[in-house]
Amino acid sequence: MKEKVKLFLESDILEKYLLGDTTKEETQKAERYIAMYPEVRETYDILQNNLETFANLYAKKTPEGLKEILLASAKKETMVSKRFMRYAVAASIAIMIFAGSSLFFWNQNKTLQEENTMVTNQIKYLEDNMKDQLADMRNQFIVLNNPSTKKYQVKGEREAKELKAIAYINPVKKLSYINVSNVPQLPEDKCFQMWAEVNGELVNLGVIKNFDEKDKLLALPYADKAVGYITIEPKGGNNTPSVDNIVANINY
Amino acid sequence: MSTLIERHIVSLLAEKDDKAISLLYENYGDTLFGVAYKVVKDEALAQDVLQESFIKIWKKADTYDASKAKLFTWLFRIVRNTSIDKLRSVNNKSDKEIQIDVSDVYNIGVKSINPEHLDIQENLDKIEDKYRIVLEALFFEGMTQQEASDELDIPLGTIKSRLKIGLRELGKIYGTTMSLLLLLNLLS
Repeated sequence: MKEKVKLFLESDILEKYLLGDTTKEETQKAERYIAMYPEVRETYDILQNNLETFANLYAKKTPEGLKEILLASAKKETMVSKRFMRYAVAASIAIMIFAGSSLFFWNQNKTLQEENTMVTNQIKYLEDNMKDQLADMRNQFIVLNNPSTKKYQVKGEREAKELKAIAYINPVKKLSYINVSNVPQLPEDKCFQMWAEVNGELVNLGVIKNFDEKDKLLALPYADKAVGYITIEPKGGNNTPSVDNIVANINY
Repeated sequence: MSTLIERHIVSLLAEKDDKAISLLYENYGDTLFGVAYKVVKDEALAQDVLQESFIKIWKKADTYDASKAKLFTWLFRIVRNTSIDKLRSVNNKSDKEIQIDVSDVYNIGVKSINPEHLDIQENLDKIEDKYRIVLEALFFEGMTQQEASDELDIPLGTIKSRLKIGLRELGKIYGTTMSLLLLLNLLS
């Protein structure tokens, strides 16, 4: 017999396991040894038989009617179990519906929150945009209606002879605007770009696009003795103006 | 190794067939009632214990694993634990009352052991007291080995060896009688 089997049999684990008094670890150990070692299995079987023999010594006649009570209890338990099962199924379905609807509403809520954030941002953007446009409109109104506003006719040169623009400069309010009314056709790889030289620094005013907004006034940065330029640049615009390609000057 | 009747009862239990209850009662009822009675020492309480135990057996039928224990061992564990729990709960409610019951019923228990199969008193007398006391303390009083050692004032090592020897010797003491009984039962 293996030493560890002998030690196991000498311990009281098997007797405790017989009575169901073992800890979880002891139970696992007992079940492992019973499964692995025939001599342990044999001892365990003997112990089980002896337990039954010992218990039989204390057998006592059951009272009349107890069998019927036990049978009724078992039947009642079965009915309770079945009823519980029905409730459990109903409860499970209810839980599933609740979980499903919760998930649906949670998703709805999340989507609405996202939409709300988006709408709020849009409103804010529109508000800012509207404020800018209003300020621009007010400035345009001031420039166009103020008696101290000076009007400069701008004409194009060289290949932009057809370019026509009018600049409005108000030195009192320090505002300047330009209205480009006609832009000649350029090859597809070229474009007009506006610049302003303000206090010795060149400011990129952007590419002049199709000028379908012929009545629109474009704001120019104001400075004393500022100069505006229109140049022909490669399509998409340039970072610095091509001096050779200046086709219009606006001194204001 | 399970007997045919054991296997039959187990399969009926698994099918939730109430014939299982009848068969359990007929085959193990007296012994299990005796175990419950031995622990709680009160007939009415023992009936309650048996009722609770049978409900547990009925409900837990699917947890029974024949490879781990004989049907009787499984039933015994359930009845023993239910009895001990019941006794503790009653003791908690009324310690004094139970004390009176204990002294009153102990002798009745010994006298009223089923005389149909064996001359119980005679057989009980065959077990040396030193083993019987230890077996009863551990089996019916719900004591751990340490508690039995403290209660009976016997060293823990002696408790262990008496449990071991007592249980293993039972087979030798009753082996012949039980075999004859089994043979008689089969022939009848």
